Amino acid sequence: MSPVTTTLTCIACPIGCALRLTHEGRDIVELAGATCDRGAKYAAEELVDPRRQLSTTVAVEGARVRRLPVKATRPVPRDRVLEAVARIHRLRVRAPVRSGQVLVEDLLGEPGLAVVATRSLGRVGP
Amino acid sequence: MSERYDVVVIGGGVVGAAIARELSRFRLRIALLERQAEVGFGTSKTNSGIIHPGHDTSPATLKGRLVVRGNALYDRLAAELHFGFRRIGQLNVALEPADLEVLQRLKAQGDAKGVPGLELWDRARLRREEPNLSRELWGALHAPSAGVINPYELVFALVESAERNGVALAVDCPVTALAADGDGLAVHTPRGVFRGRFVLNCAGVESDRVAALAGAQTFTITPRKGEEYMLDKRLEGLVRRLVFPVPSPKTKGTLIIPTFDGTIMVGPTAEDVEDRDDVATTARGAAAVFAFVRRLCPSIDPRDAITAFAGLRAVADGNDFVIGPTSVRGFVHVAGIQSPGLTAAPAIAEHVRDLLAAEGLALVAKPDFEPGVRAPARFAHLAPEVQEALAARDPRFARVVCRCELVTEAEIDDAVDHGARTLDGLKFRTRAGMGRCQGGFCTPRAMEILARRLGVPLHAVTKRGGGSWIALPMGAEQEA
Amino acid sequence: MLGRMEGDYDVVVVGGGPAGLAAAIGARDAGAARVLVVDREDEAGGILLQCIHAGFGLHYFQEELTGPEYAERFVARALDRDIDVVCSAYVSGAGLDSDGTRRVRVMREGHGIRTARSRAMVLAMGCRERTRGAVHIPGTRPAGVLTAGLAQRFVNVMGLLPGRRVAILGSGDIGLIMARRLTLEGCEVVGVFELMPFSNGLTRNVVQCLRDFGIPLHLSTTVVEIHGRDRVEKITVAPVGADLAPDLARRWQVPCDTLLLSIGLVPENELSQALGVELDVVTQGPRVSSTLETSLPGVFACGNVLHVHDLCDYVTEEALLAGRFAGELAGGVKRPRDNIRVVPGDNVRYCVPHTLAPGREHTVYLRCQRPLRPAAIRVGDLVRRKLGFVTPAEMITFRIKPDVLDRFHGEARRIDLLGEPAGAHLAGAEP
Repeated sequence: MSPVTTTLTCIACPIGCALRLTHEGRDIVELAGATCDRGAKYAAEELVDPRRQLSTTVAVEGARVRRLPVKATRPVPRDRVLEAVARIHRLRVRAPVRSGQVLVEDLLGEPGLAVVATRSLGRVGP
Repeated sequence: MSERYDVVVIGGGVVGAAIARELSRFRLRIALLERQAEVGFGTSKTNSGIIHPGHDTSPATLKGRLVVRGNALYDRLAAELHFGFRRIGQLNVALEPADLEVLQRLKAQGDAKGVPGLELWDRARLRREEPNLSRELWGALHAPSAGVINPYELVFALVESAERNGVALAVDCPVTALAADGDGLAVHTPRGVFRGRFVLNCAGVESDRVAALAGAQTFTITPRKGEEYMLDKRLEGLVRRLVFPVPSPKTKGTLIIPTFDGTIMVGPTAEDVEDRDDVATTARGAAAVFAFVRRLCPSIDPRDAITAFAGLRAVADGNDFVIGPTSVRGFVHVAGIQSPGLTAAPAIAEHVRDLLAAEGLALVAKPDFEPGVRAPARFAHLAPEVQEALAARDPRFARVVCRCELVTEAEIDDAVDHGARTLDGLKFRTRAGMGRCQGGFCTPRAMEILARRLGVPLHAVTKRGGGSWIALPMGAEQEA
Repeated sequence: MLGRMEGDYDVVVVGGGPAGLAAAIGARDAGAARVLVVDREDEAGGILLQCIHAGFGLHYFQEELTGPEYAERFVARALDRDIDVVCSAYVSGAGLDSDGTRRVRVMREGHGIRTARSRAMVLAMGCRERTRGAVHIPGTRPAGVLTAGLAQRFVNVMGLLPGRRVAILGSGDIGLIMARRLTLEGCEVVGVFELMPFSNGLTRNVVQCLRDFGIPLHLSTTVVEIHGRDRVEKITVAPVGADLAPDLARRWQVPCDTLLLSIGLVPENELSQALGVELDVVTQGPRVSSTLETSLPGVFACGNVLHVHDLCDYVTEEALLAGRFAGELAGGVKRPRDNIRVVPGDNVRYCVPHTLAPGREHTVYLRCQRPLRPAAIRVGDLVRRKLGFVTPAEMITFRIKPDVLDRFHGEARRIDLLGEPAGAHLAGAEP
């Protein structure tokens, strides 16, 4: 396998360093452009298993508002964000609900990757 | 649906509304048709809101004759209908020494027409009365009878009064065809056929097209666009009177307007356009307006603009009002009502009333005609003790919907009771959404109240009817 | 959440968002026995309740929370401290009596209009978004032109989508976050258009919210016309030159049914102005001393009503401090008046607070005018510190140690930001 050069913008901090990394498969041969060592960590993760935090909302009934905010408890694979969202959007929640309440376990089949409510909503009406 | 009327009024702008209300004094069956979702949503809504003294229009024209009478009718109209109206006076200012002669001529013309109180001011007097105007101005003509109104409030109140006195209002009701029908005409619309012995063409910018439908097109309308810029309340009190330059044949010029609600508005431009839907503001228009008004008042800053809008004046070839019967029996034009049409509207209504009588319409006064309408609640204008008493009595007066203009839920409810069906309808009745944040905060609350009151889902609420949807349902609601 | 409002208070806080809640907690912890928070929404927490994304609390809670979680923790802390929090309550007026009592007039659904009296008052009303009128976008006035924050409320609270094909003017963080949010909800975001040659949002948001989803960011480009009678049908955009004037010869049209505006925030100081508080023309917030006290004695300000922050954690930090000083004042603690004026110098748009006093450590918040890399901050001839990278999108937090000012005997200190101009290193067109 021959080395490949990829450009990334580091998102570990607001500086947003332009990283140039040369890698053979998943092994980084050379990294340029990082102004701190967080860049190296980010580059390694981004190369092997890029992940993103995910938050969205789901329909809620019996509450004062129509949407319940939720989040994935761990970052989800970047390339499966839309798939994860489609799964979450199928949820229907009835108030009351507590912040932190688990709504989905093992999202995308990943053990321990849960979806939890991020807002407490009391029950309103019947 | 097919109903028979004595008079069918096409067009729910200020002209049609004033006529419908005037005719509702008599034992007549009257229908008022408006193509948009609410009355006054065409040219009237975008009017500068000035009640002109009339000294600047020639008495040789119809508009020049009706304007002075119209002006005089406003005190009583405001007392009956409770729209915002205040006589604040007007200044025509001289930018050049040569303008002083024009001012003298205007004064003589106005004096001859019976315009009250005209007075020429020298530079020192002008500076004393309006210290924020440019120091370069040479003098001014003061006309104390000029006033400002909220034109949309006038139209809403006229129509409400007309409805109270029996006029049938149909909105979302554009005219698609006009045909002879026995003694009169049949007006075809998507909401049915309205048969009228007299049909009044008050269709504003569309009036030549409506005339063509009737086979009575004797004039052409060239829409003349005017752009207006509303400034932040920060500038409240900058000028106390309407400030005009000297007029040109085409326009009264670009003005500084201290509106009834205290904000300053600058404009309008005057540009003939082809497209009758062209209510776009332009970079060129903004540049021209601000360049000009800064000559009148240097401290006006374009950065203070909080919103802009444009409207179309319905200018007929001949440049005068076109009022009168046509070759088509029963079909009467009330068209080409350009400036000073708002001022003249109450006088136009009287003029048309007399004209219809001369055409054979029997006018039998109704003893139970009710001239007044209930004044809308205006929480922000009330004294603190009155506000407190209201809020103690009705909790909706303690719930603020629009913060910039301090509009309460009770007022929103009241506006719906008075016919508001859209967000713009609420805005123009209550001022909710008119302030600095331009609806950023109050839109959700206003939408929720409107949806609840109209019994429709949130996503069915529109800005101004038609295709002006605000939002789409998502998720569960979408599938349901 | 239906709190009480009874009797007189030590400190009244206007606004129950992150700033108001933290200020109330700061006041209580400084010994104020009776603290009231008045909030206009139905639930305290402010704009955080609709900011469902993560990114809050890294500084304060050492963990990354979503907006609603951050709000809920603060509300719980306030209630634990017996702070009165009243919601659906709007402060429609305020005043100062000659005996030093501060008054607020509260309109509250179900409770009528009542006056609350206090020894100190904290202004924490937050900010609002700039609208179309503020930037003069020519064209028609159809439905479908709205601020990013309103769209956020539609989507995250009301269950509504603002449209199907969305263009965004301005690359502020709310706009970037809404680009991602709407994409996740199935909308097509056709592009983000930014007048400046750099994004006004955080770099990581450009990457995570736009680039991950292939949403184009057009820098040095603006919207020059809005088309559509009832609803937005399309927009015309054009590149701008160095003078920020659009080059109409190179304009193009973008079909869309919605235009979101993310073009800046303005501190909401109508109440402050009604009170007679003196404002800074740059921040459009009150001028404050090192105790975050405004020009009116006993009236403090913090959070976005004071100046627009980009991180909620900074709001919290500043508000805890404002609350503490308000609480101390209510308890009779007097501090000497400031005697050093802070002067924004080279490449500094503004500094808050506006004055300082010797003898204490100070946190000065400032913003630059142009991006610099590397950059350094200089305070008179006393301090010089390297900063790495500065950009107008990111507030700079700078701590000044007591000894620095103790050795100083002038009346004004100038703060400069020095360094090399940084280009638009994060180009929008980059894949």
